[in-house]
Amino acid sequence: MNNKNKIKIFLVDDDALFLKLLEMDFLQHADFEIETFATGELCIENLSHDPDVIILDYVLDGLDKNAMNGIETLDRIKTFDERIPVVMLSSQDKIEVAISCMHHKAFDYVVKSETAFIRLQKAINSIFSFQKLEKQLNWYMERM
Amino acid sequence: MSIINRHESQYARSLIEASLDPLVTINTKGKITDMNEALANVTGMTREQLTNTDFFDYFTEPQKAREVYQEVFANGSVADSPLTLRHGNGKLTDVLFNGSVYKDNRGNVLGVVVVARDVTDQKRIATELNEAKVSAERATKVAEEATKVAEEATKVAEESKRKAENATKIAEEAVKAKQQFLSNMSHEIRTPMNAIIGFTKVLLKTDLTARQKEYLTAIKMSGDSLIVLINDILDLAKVDAGKMTFEQTPFKMALSLSAMLHLFETKIQEKNLKLVKIYDDNIPEVLVGDPVRLHQIILNLVSNAVKFTSNGKIIISTHLLCEDEKNVTIEFAVTDTGIGIPENKLENIFENFQQATSGTSRLYGGTGLGLAIVKQLVEAQNGTIHVKSQVGEGSTFSFTLSFLKTNADAESELAIVEPDAEIRNIKVLVAEDIAINQLLMKTILDDFGFERDIAENGKIAIEKLKATSYDIILMDLQMPEMNGFEATNYIRNTMNSKVPIIALTADVTTVDLAKCRAVGMNDYIAKPVDERLLYSKIVGLVKKPVPVLEQKVHVQNSGDRIKCIDMDYLTRRTKSNPILMMEMISLYLEQTPPLISAMKQGLQDKDWNSLYLAVHKMIPSFSIMGISSDFEDMAKKVQEFASTQKQAEEMPALVLQLENICVQACEELEEEFNSIKNTNP
Repeated sequence: MNNKNKIKIFLVDDDALFLKLLEMDFLQHADFEIETFATGELCIENLSHDPDVIILDYVLDGLDKNAMNGIETLDRIKTFDERIPVVMLSSQDKIEVAISCMHHKAFDYVVKSETAFIRLQKAINSIFSFQKLEKQLNWYMERM
Repeated sequence: MSIINRHESQYARSLIEASLDPLVTINTKGKITDMNEALANVTGMTREQLTNTDFFDYFTEPQKAREVYQEVFANGSVADSPLTLRHGNGKLTDVLFNGSVYKDNRGNVLGVVVVARDVTDQKRIATELNEAKVSAERATKVAEEATKVAEEATKVAEESKRKAENATKIAEEAVKAKQQFLSNMSHEIRTPMNAIIGFTKVLLKTDLTARQKEYLTAIKMSGDSLIVLINDILDLAKVDAGKMTFEQTPFKMALSLSAMLHLFETKIQEKNLKLVKIYDDNIPEVLVGDPVRLHQIILNLVSNAVKFTSNGKIIISTHLLCEDEKNVTIEFAVTDTGIGIPENKLENIFENFQQATSGTSRLYGGTGLGLAIVKQLVEAQNGTIHVKSQVGEGSTFSFTLSFLKTNADAESELAIVEPDAEIRNIKVLVAEDIAINQLLMKTILDDFGFERDIAENGKIAIEKLKATSYDIILMDLQMPEMNGFEATNYIRNTMNSKVPIIALTADVTTVDLAKCRAVGMNDYIAKPVDERLLYSKIVGLVKKPVPVLEQKVHVQNSGDRIKCIDMDYLTRRTKSNPILMMEMISLYLEQTPPLISAMKQGLQDKDWNSLYLAVHKMIPSFSIMGISSDFEDMAKKVQEFASTQKQAEEMPALVLQLENICVQACEELEEEFNSIKNTNP
């Protein structure tokens, strides 16, 4: 909370390697405040840190069968605060997976690949322009 | 009057009378006073009738006559004035009027003496002459006109001849232009198609999801069929222009046929059809002919048969029709149990762009060029082609071709060497001007693990060849500055180099191939380049006696010495930051062993879901650590098996291979970690 101007992003993935790589990308290419979590549980616990965007892996229960999976985590985040935008990330390229994520109110769905970071960046940009539009709309609505 | 005078007078009178020209005297009033016989003759009147009448009455133009004799009175004389006398019966006599006054002793004018010289004959002659002249002139004119007409006719004839020649020329040029256009177009289309198909092939070998693979396969298939179409059009143009040439090479008929039919096996199985091969064993083993064109013919017929048959069988039969000392004639037949062709359509089924019904192409696709090409190819080789068909029952296409017999052995068809054979350190020089093709060749050659160098044209290729030695040159034929033929010629004749040269050509006309051989190229390969073929050709030429035994070395086994990891990606991503690299490596080392054991456990417990998830987690790490995408593919295969919950036979082997590579990667990464640590304290 000490760095109010920076956008705060949560990265959630149980693949430590990929998580690290993603963190690296975010830190190198843009001025973000990044928090990384290996599990959905850890992410939920830290929602009070007030993230602006959450990037969430779809398969979080790869090794620990009892771990919360991506969709569960997504639901929990949305219960906590529906306004937090969540971008789902997965190596799954199945349409059904993507659709189910969107049904669970994910903002976008990005497939893990070499270009994942670029697409995440784009998704984040559109989140903010979307939020800005929404704010403007509200401002006008209030005055009508 | 004295006697002498009388004599003289008589003498003069007789002279006057003797004159054939009319002589007349008139008084001042114009009345005739005297005349000779000639005047009486000319006018047809007696002297008595004439005497004392008006002289000018006897002329056709009395007024003019009067003027003339008045002129005589005025001037004293007149000479050769033309007038015409009229005879009583209407006959006209042209005369020349000459006259002079006569006076008495005192000089008083008594009258005029007129001599009217008869010029009828002269006139006639003159007229005749004139007429002759006129007719001569007319004749000349006619002749001239005739000449002119003749000339014009000639001109017209020449013109039309020239026009005809022009038309022929234009027609010939049009044909030529058409061919040139087709040839150019095919080249222009092939070049980008080459890139599209080539890169699609390259992409297909990379790490892909099933969906991406499906899309790319669709792209590749579309590209392939486009290439087939372009080749078909080009072939037709060549046959039309009589430019299709046929090779005369010894080949093994039976082998050649079965190799080709092999291509259809999947397709035939997919459609649940039966393929029946009937081969006449009396056909000599080796024959001389054009196996490529024979393939093309049968390929077209069989692919039609497959296309139009939804159940039943396809029979391909060969039958030795006759054999003498030099030749054999073979009948080939392709019979299907397909939709058949209506009888009224049988006639033009072999024409360009014809399919039995216009709906055929909608239902079955195709351009309708296949049979046209088949017919042309058969007939150009003095063969005949027939079709028999019954709607709903099926069709039989049969054709006969003659082949020369020979004692020679067939050229051993280059066995396709498996691309995973371990042949390294081959240095390839690629002479190619088009950037995208350069990139494609680079990618393919890199894939083969060959060293490669690119030259934009023949000249640069020669310079490079002078500076460095290469094992083989891949030479595009059409290049700016110096084309492939010129470059090869230089390399062979001026540099005296025997370095193997493979021609890369988009336009596979037989003329080109002959030219390739003529300048000393060793082989050729058509674009789009078939990688396996390129590989086997390169390897075949570079390592002439290919040591067959040492080839089957598996990557995994030889991989003990070759590093399986490649820090390239990581270095790039971390921007060579040693701390980040060490972090990444340690993360891998931390998370991989549990993944391996989860994977093994999953397999052991047949817990497909766990196995799936463990392998799933493993997949991204392969590319991060630069491990060959082969293993990624293996992992994906395991994933597929796991998701279908089926125990596949190869599963344990795949899991073992994954385990091995991960263990090896861990070992290597540990070393890497330490070396980074040591160099960056």
